[in-house]
Amino acid sequence: MPRPEQKEIQFTIDGREVRAIEGAMLVDAAKHGDVEIPFFCYEPKLGNPVGACRMCLVEIEGIPKLQTSCSTPVKDGMVVHTQTDRVHAAQNAVVEFLLVNHPLDCPVCDKGGECPLQDITFGWGRGRSRFIEPKRHFVKPLSLSPLVAIDRERCILCYRCVRFSQEVAEDYQLIFAERGAHTYVSTFDGHPYVAPFSGNIIELCPVGALTSKPYRFRARPWDIEGAGGICTLCPSQCNVQFTVRDETVMRVLARENDEVDDGWLCDKGRFAYQSIHVDERIAAPLVRDGGELREVSWERALSVAAGLARHRGRVGALVGGQATNEEGFLLQSLMRQGLESPDIDSRGRASVPLELGRALAAPSLQAAVPDLEFAHTVLVLGCEPLDDAPILDLRIRKGVRRRGVNLAIASARPSALDANAKLSLRYPPGTEAAFLAELAAALAGPPSSGDISALAKLLLEGGEDVVILWGERVAADALPTLLRIAERLGLSGRAGAGLLEVPSGANGRGLREAGVLPGVGPGYAPAPAGRSAAQIAAAAADGRLTALYLFQTDPVRELPDRALWEAALHRAALVVAHASVLTEGIREHAAVVFPAESHAEKEGTVVHPDGRLQRLRGAIGHPNQVRAGWSVLAEISARVGHDQGVLTSPMAWEQLVAAVPFYAGLTLQEIGGRGVRWPDRAQAAQMPAGSAPSAPAPPGGSASSAPVAGAPANGGLRLGSYRPIWASPEVEISPALKFTICRQHVELSPQDAARLGIDHGEAVEVSQLDGSSAAYSGEAGSQARGKLEGTRVHGTAAVRSGVPQGTAFLADGIAQDSANELTEAVVEVRKP
Amino acid sequence: MSIHILFEGIDEPGLNRLEVYQRRGGYQALRTALAMSREDVLGELLTSEIRGRGGAGFQMGKKISFLPRGDMDKYLVCNADESEPGTFKDRELMQKSPHMLIEGIVIASYAAGIGRSFIYIRGEYDYQADILEAAIAEAYEAGYLGEQILGSDHSLSLVLHRGAGAYICGEETGLLDSLEGKRGNPRLKPPFPAIQGLYQGPTLINNVETLSTVPHIIRMGAAQYAEIGTQTSTGTKLVSISGDVQRPGNYEIALGIPSREIIYGLAGGPADGREVKLWFPGGSSAPVLTKDDLDVPYDFDSLAKAGTMLGSGAIIVVDDSHRVLDVAYKLAKFYAHESCGKCVPCREGTNWTVKMLQRIEAGEATPMDLDIMASVQDEIIGNCLCVLGDAMAMPVGSIIKKFRAELEEHIEAARERAGIGSLENVIPVGVADAHAGPLPVH
Amino acid sequence: MSGYDVPRFGHGSRVPGWDQAADLTKDPAVIPDSATTLVPETLRAGIEAAMAKYPERRSAAIPALHLAQELHGWCSPEAIEQVACVMRLTPAYLISVATFYDMLETRPKPRNDVFVCTNISCSLLGADEFYEAMVAAAAEDPDVGVRSFECLGACDIAPMASVNGEYVGPLETEDAAQIIEDLRAGGPVLEAKQLRFRRSVDPGAVGP
Repeated sequence: MPRPEQKEIQFTIDGREVRAIEGAMLVDAAKHGDVEIPFFCYEPKLGNPVGACRMCLVEIEGIPKLQTSCSTPVKDGMVVHTQTDRVHAAQNAVVEFLLVNHPLDCPVCDKGGECPLQDITFGWGRGRSRFIEPKRHFVKPLSLSPLVAIDRERCILCYRCVRFSQEVAEDYQLIFAERGAHTYVSTFDGHPYVAPFSGNIIELCPVGALTSKPYRFRARPWDIEGAGGICTLCPSQCNVQFTVRDETVMRVLARENDEVDDGWLCDKGRFAYQSIHVDERIAAPLVRDGGELREVSWERALSVAAGLARHRGRVGALVGGQATNEEGFLLQSLMRQGLESPDIDSRGRASVPLELGRALAAPSLQAAVPDLEFAHTVLVLGCEPLDDAPILDLRIRKGVRRRGVNLAIASARPSALDANAKLSLRYPPGTEAAFLAELAAALAGPPSSGDISALAKLLLEGGEDVVILWGERVAADALPTLLRIAERLGLSGRAGAGLLEVPSGANGRGLREAGVLPGVGPGYAPAPAGRSAAQIAAAAADGRLTALYLFQTDPVRELPDRALWEAALHRAALVVAHASVLTEGIREHAAVVFPAESHAEKEGTVVHPDGRLQRLRGAIGHPNQVRAGWSVLAEISARVGHDQGVLTSPMAWEQLVAAVPFYAGLTLQEIGGRGVRWPDRAQAAQMPAGSAPSAPAPPGGSASSAPVAGAPANGGLRLGSYRPIWASPEVEISPALKFTICRQHVELSPQDAARLGIDHGEAVEVSQLDGSSAAYSGEAGSQARGKLEGTRVHGTAAVRSGVPQGTAFLADGIAQDSANELTEAVVEVRKP
Repeated sequence: MSIHILFEGIDEPGLNRLEVYQRRGGYQALRTALAMSREDVLGELLTSEIRGRGGAGFQMGKKISFLPRGDMDKYLVCNADESEPGTFKDRELMQKSPHMLIEGIVIASYAAGIGRSFIYIRGEYDYQADILEAAIAEAYEAGYLGEQILGSDHSLSLVLHRGAGAYICGEETGLLDSLEGKRGNPRLKPPFPAIQGLYQGPTLINNVETLSTVPHIIRMGAAQYAEIGTQTSTGTKLVSISGDVQRPGNYEIALGIPSREIIYGLAGGPADGREVKLWFPGGSSAPVLTKDDLDVPYDFDSLAKAGTMLGSGAIIVVDDSHRVLDVAYKLAKFYAHESCGKCVPCREGTNWTVKMLQRIEAGEATPMDLDIMASVQDEIIGNCLCVLGDAMAMPVGSIIKKFRAELEEHIEAARERAGIGSLENVIPVGVADAHAGPLPVH
Repeated sequence: MSGYDVPRFGHGSRVPGWDQAADLTKDPAVIPDSATTLVPETLRAGIEAAMAKYPERRSAAIPALHLAQELHGWCSPEAIEQVACVMRLTPAYLISVATFYDMLETRPKPRNDVFVCTNISCSLLGADEFYEAMVAAAAEDPDVGVRSFECLGACDIAPMASVNGEYVGPLETEDAAQIIEDLRAGGPVLEAKQLRFRRSVDPGAVGP
């Protein structure tokens, strides 16, 4: 869909001739003439103006009544006055009206000093009030949610928060109740406003009515500083501003970047900063001593880690999504050159061959985030944006709502976006290959009936700009077909169209580009063959690998097949970890733990899923004994005899740029605060071309992968898994977010629940139905298998009408009763 | 003096049923219209120069011609949310002659090329809604509604939608939001409903009385219709007259007759021994007139010239047995209650006015408060999102202006009642000079 | 006011829940899942029929809430959840709509509604006195709720009231007791004063 063309016009404001974009709202256009028009309710991010606050009234020649400049598009030749007596009188009046019922409790108000109402009263008010009647008083503050406090006395009913809930997040939980002066912000029947994006209302509130519970009264605007950064708690990589006081992050605000986040944050990004300053965080190096991890000196810890040298050729490494490009680059060099161990991976699930990986990451095929908003059609394939990259969920909603994007969802599990979609298709978990094969056939063949044909029709006829948003969870065997579909739709080289992959790790894309993949070196160069994550687990479990390097990841928590990973970590003689939280795998098995930096401390670069290089800069100093990840890696590298010559993070960046041809010439300066999308640069041509394997399975060719409707024949349920937005150790240790800690909910269809005699909310247990997995061989394997057969995952039944019959969905990545304890495709759900 | 078009035989038993309506020539105008081209029907409406009977008095034909041409979904919405205090004419029309309204809707939709229509009736009109629902069913049955009406190329659906009690839904954009299933908050204009209205589509909104007149315009011919009334206020008008008169009710008049003829001639004026103190010429939102204004001709332009408006055509007469303070208080309380709360001057201004009036009654006011109150009304007028704020500020402002002496007497009397003492002994602090006083700076 | 356990502002507006905090033990109120929300069949059918009448289903919100109020006596949280489930809207959306309109009750209310108009025309003719009398007459009857209401559009029979939707007037103080009596008897209320039987006052309106 072509983006709207922008035409410049000229208008007059307060006697000045000013140029502006035609159609821009007067309140914005006025800024070009250095004229500030005050407002409260106007916020273009929230959609169409509502004109409720009446603060922005101006006089326009030719129109008898004063007009709201927030809703008046500027036209060529318009003559506008903002400094006439009439305008001043109206502004004075509105300020006075607003203060009729607004308490003047500014000295004890958390908003004081950064309050638009304060500023506008000072700038545009009369300076006195004629209202001598008593003001209204209410109990305050009250809880609106565990995160947000509401002070209804202060509310000026500007509509911002309710519009956010209704028109941006579309959760429609926050509403106005009652009418007239009795109107108040509320929820249904005292339910809390708990939703993934609820924290944005705090930032939107132009008065002190909505305040952050974790931030309330922790600081005043004049004793804090803002520091730009990137949130690396998920692949959305939202741009943030840390509010810092005394080297402590006090809160996180959005730092608007339309190319990335549109100015919104999810509650994880907004509140999990608390994990930076809690006792649970690892703040000093730990070494296992007498079975227990104990704080030790850096020297001691580094020397234990240097013991990796004794495992040369037998080390496996996993890199978590929070690692920067520099850290990934240094670690792959340490592994490949320093330890002669090519077994390094950053993908938790199936590995993707070099050629295919290159093809999928081809710059000409990459869609950018704003394309989700302007495309004709968006297909969400095998991912749940709300959980996997929450801010993209908002972007997709915006596209559908404002620009009529055709949205289609193809997933195993019902999606939060289903209600917005023209088409929602379900396939059994893990059968993306068969699904895409059918779709490819439908795209090639004559039109016919059926859902897949309808999807094909939408993709072919809905407009040329198609974006396919897909997740790393899409089975690897489906990817060649995905490429063929992209080719059929002509997505390559087409601006505004393409593929956009949501990796599992926040910096999944950057780590791949830095060479943190088996057999793939920096810049997608070929590298000696290595083991993938699953192969590393198997090799460590049966003793072929003897040491493991876990960089900000705990496979027991995060990767499939928990039992196998426990066996692997148990068997490994040396487990070196970088971590900020002692999750179970690290706590039980690590020999040495280096305290990892938070995203507010790191210095380095990451790559957004759409190819945007973004820069992390230390917003605060390292607390306690934490040291920079790159420096620890450089030190260990030196100690095992592979000095990489890196003394600063920018030096690591220089080496990375030298090794990745498609980054060539890029400087940190250039990346700056907004980032640079490398696929848009000329040097992108240096990306080696890839190809898809040529012999795809014919559609429906193999019975095992064809989508089968209904339940498995043996009475069990297909197991599908998903990772909730809250499943992260940072969330678990953030006091404000404790209420979100995920317990296992076993999602069942009403039909299956009725058949199994299970009611919504009942306790259930899930066990493996068919334990004949071939993956377990050898001694350690049989141990793991023995454990597996007794595996029981406990949870609460959640009966959902959208769940397809024959499937049960369980959460993974959670602390207890995670789905990764189950390895079979079919499970049995029953009451304990 | 009386010409009867809408009310001609309105009390005929069973007129609400199709059979009787048809026997009296009902739906003949529709046949006539459908035999004409859409443009010609619209031409008739333009020629008639009929002005909207809901309050704003905008020419109906012009409104239709603002609708964009083309194939998009367009809507007609009949505003039957009659809730302006003092107004009850649409109620009688809908109850007694529902088919007249339906016929008008079908003709108007034909002229405007509209395929879907709605009647938004206030929820309190339960009985009238039942009658309309039955009439709509009859009209569908007889082929006056639905696909290809009477074999023509015109199709129209009509849905009766009951409101749930909110004055603001009589405001056309508030009505649209309410009809869309939302809170009845008015929308920003522009865009006007003719361009972007119901479900974002072009929408024609007309009052019950306006639409009910349409069949008669077609029947009589626009030129003949336009001869009734004055040059700029054509036709007849239903006037609801209530309050201190001896024969309250709805009267059909030719526009332009002296107001005195309605108040005294038709409605009998106040009870013996009483005289008119003030009267609202067009619902409670209209600035008040006094007994000196009784000879103003009752039409759109003459009333505008007198500083008020014809509005919905509802006259409320207040005789000299009532205190003007009570009238102002009732008004302010009503508008404060009905303010939707969306925009600041209306929400806060109406409530502030109520509080000031309460303060007068409690004996805690001074004449300076009248200045503040008048100034607050001025600050509401023209600064709001819709006209509800003005609807309070205009009559209240006019009362303060025209009855200041009486209000000052109330202030003095109330102070004495409350034992606060006469103003002569009081030097008001702060409020003494509301515009330049040494008041605290926030 | 009899029957109403909720204090009200002068003109029937509900005292809002300004002082109400969210109950943090509750789950967020999302769109109720049809798998776990029981909806009476008649209500479901009624709402679905209403939704079918409009190009956008949301338009049926007010008709649906009317139906739910009829069934449950008021727009209780349970009633709202049922409507939300059928309409695929959040309960918050519907409570926001319901609290905007005077005729939708979000607190328990007596079975019978007596709306006494106390707007200008009626009050000029004694509506406030009648309202007091009506409140007094209904004081002992838990089944009758009396509300002072804004202009009901029947100033020709001022002072007037709407008794369960039936317009009656002009009223005198004695009529208050009669209304209660008629409501108890279950038959028509003040039949002689019902608006539906009133003829036009316009002399020209006589039929041919």
